[in-house]
Amino acid sequence: MFRAGSRRTHDKGPAPEAVRLVKVTKTYGSHDSAVTALDGVTLGLGRGTFTAVMGPSGSGKTTLLHCAAGLDRPDSGIVRVDGTELTGGGEAELTKFRRGRVGFVFQQYNLLETLTVAQNTVLPLKLAGQRVDRGRTKEILTSVGLGDRLGHRPDQLSGGQRQRVAIARALVTEPRVVFADEPTGALDTRSARDVLRLLQQAVRAHGRTVVMVTHDPVAASYADSVLFLADGRLAGRLDTPTPDAVAERLAHLGDNAAMEV
Amino acid sequence: MFMLAMRSIRHRPGRFLATLLCAFLGAAIIMTFNSMHDTAAQNGVDSTSAETLSTAAGVVGGYGTLLVFFAVASALTVNVRQRAAELALLRCSGATPAQLKRMVVGEAVVVGLVGAALAIGPAMLGGRMLLEVFQDSGQVTESVEHSFGPIALMTGIDITLLASAGAAFLAVRRATRGHRKRGGARKFLAYAALLTGAVSVSSTFVFSATDAALMAPPAYGAILLSVGFALMAPRLLEGVLDRLPLSGASGWLAVRNLRERAGHLAGILMSLILFTAVATATLTMQAVESDAVEASGLTKSIDAKNLETLNFTVVGIIVVFVCVMLVNSLCAATSYRGREFGQQRLAGATPGQVLGTVGAETVILTVTGVLFGSVAALAGIVPFTVVRGDAVLPGDVYGIGVAVVAVAATATLGTSLVTARRMLRTPAVGAVAVAS
Repeated sequence: MFRAGSRRTHDKGPAPEAVRLVKVTKTYGSHDSAVTALDGVTLGLGRGTFTAVMGPSGSGKTTLLHCAAGLDRPDSGIVRVDGTELTGGGEAELTKFRRGRVGFVFQQYNLLETLTVAQNTVLPLKLAGQRVDRGRTKEILTSVGLGDRLGHRPDQLSGGQRQRVAIARALVTEPRVVFADEPTGALDTRSARDVLRLLQQAVRAHGRTVVMVTHDPVAASYADSVLFLADGRLAGRLDTPTPDAVAERLAHLGDNAAMEV
Repeated sequence: MFMLAMRSIRHRPGRFLATLLCAFLGAAIIMTFNSMHDTAAQNGVDSTSAETLSTAAGVVGGYGTLLVFFAVASALTVNVRQRAAELALLRCSGATPAQLKRMVVGEAVVVGLVGAALAIGPAMLGGRMLLEVFQDSGQVTESVEHSFGPIALMTGIDITLLASAGAAFLAVRRATRGHRKRGGARKFLAYAALLTGAVSVSSTFVFSATDAALMAPPAYGAILLSVGFALMAPRLLEGVLDRLPLSGASGWLAVRNLRERAGHLAGILMSLILFTAVATATLTMQAVESDAVEASGLTKSIDAKNLETLNFTVVGIIVVFVCVMLVNSLCAATSYRGREFGQQRLAGATPGQVLGTVGAETVILTVTGVLFGSVAALAGIVPFTVVRGDAVLPGDVYGIGVAVVAVAATATLGTSLVTARRMLRTPAVGAVAVAS
């Protein structure tokens, strides 16, 4: 399933382009009720960049993220993550690929309720059959400000704290790319700021690539650039965004979409 | 609230299938055996036949009531737990705990009533067949006609309804009270059952080898011991988990999951312990008894035959019932975990690892259940064989034990793995989104 298969045996270091999509199309439903979520999207995201994907509801942001991360299969088109193409293959194969190079952060945290903060954090390592270093666990949780919460359960934490655990979990495998789907969607402004700073830090300090779907112009302003999506197509790009600029652009996107209907 | 109950049944019939199945099976068994009371009460039935029929009805009827209660209670507990979100929503929209209680109990009563009504036909057929069995073995004279009368009908419906309503009441009370430590009542009952069981088993030694009632104390003792163990199920499970060095991601996750969900899994463990203990103890003792009678060259008396028929029927019923219960609750409990499986997959677990975790959990659960069930069974078997025969452990015990364990393992592993596999067909992102 991985055309650049040799990378598995001897890693040549990160590819220059972290994510590459070529003419990716995805349609849900069939016949009359078919909805085109992605309509031939082509884009490339450089290594060590922080990109926000924005657009009105139903514009295909989440589908784009899922396709790029290998959580969903595009109907057609090519998806390349860290230089390796995701084609067919079973879920097991895809999972093993993602485990090493991709991290996820979701709006609903998706922490396992039965595990403690520390256990949740190291779960991806455990699943990959790697040895877990207690010191490293503590270190990574300390870096997200939860060094004193190792033994707590997710339901004993606030939303912001849970999301920080999720970020620690996403970063623990030292992935090349981190995909975040509305990571601040369920958080208050203060917790949201902490989460966004952590994502920013992952890019600035550790050279990871972060792709974040959001509908919040303030959240998007933490990114290096913003990609706008409307009706499953790319509808522009904004570098070094400010909240106001993003909001204005977004408002016009909405106008265009409304006029087309 | 009753209107809401009716609506919720009409629009989500699938959710009530488990409860309905338990109520139906329970009602059918109770009615089948209690129709023996009706048959015995007819004019012109000789006293020997009447006694055989009444004993069968009395013994199995008693067992049946307990089983129905256990089965319906476990199905309803799972049902209520899965609807925690719906119940919370209703509470937020202004439903008082009393109203919620009325809704859940109302649903359970309606489901119980439907189950009992459906059971009438099969119970009539079953009763006729049971009478034929008794007649073929000569325990009941051929001239006796089967009768399905008021006793069968009333007990069947009443017991099913009472069990459903009671079980629903307890389940919803537990749910609306939120998480709280189980009271001392359970602990007290567990110790009481273990103590009486031990006394009962020990009292076997008072009897002589040829006493007709020799089988009763060890059999009841074994059952009581297993009930005691079953009540202590969560703590026993934790004890086993503490002594388990499991490696590998699946094993690691399985142990952590089981530890957290020990309370939830108690129902499944309970059924497993009861099943192993009752089936192994009763079947082995009966086999030893039959061997002993055969060896002495005596022909079996009517009483001995009655006991044999009863033992086999009781075990048969328990096997079927507990299997249905196990499959039921495991299936429901596993399908409830779709979201959790999705989260594991998103965290980097392959489908094989998720199945491995479920498999490891089930194996630990099965081994624990079978272990304590066997301990309870052996506690009854050994005194019996020492008094009745000479050997401490009869040869029969191995074959029967292996068969019982095989049934238990197939039912638990099969159900949870098949259900988990089905859950894995949903893409991970979808599985996580559905419940959120």
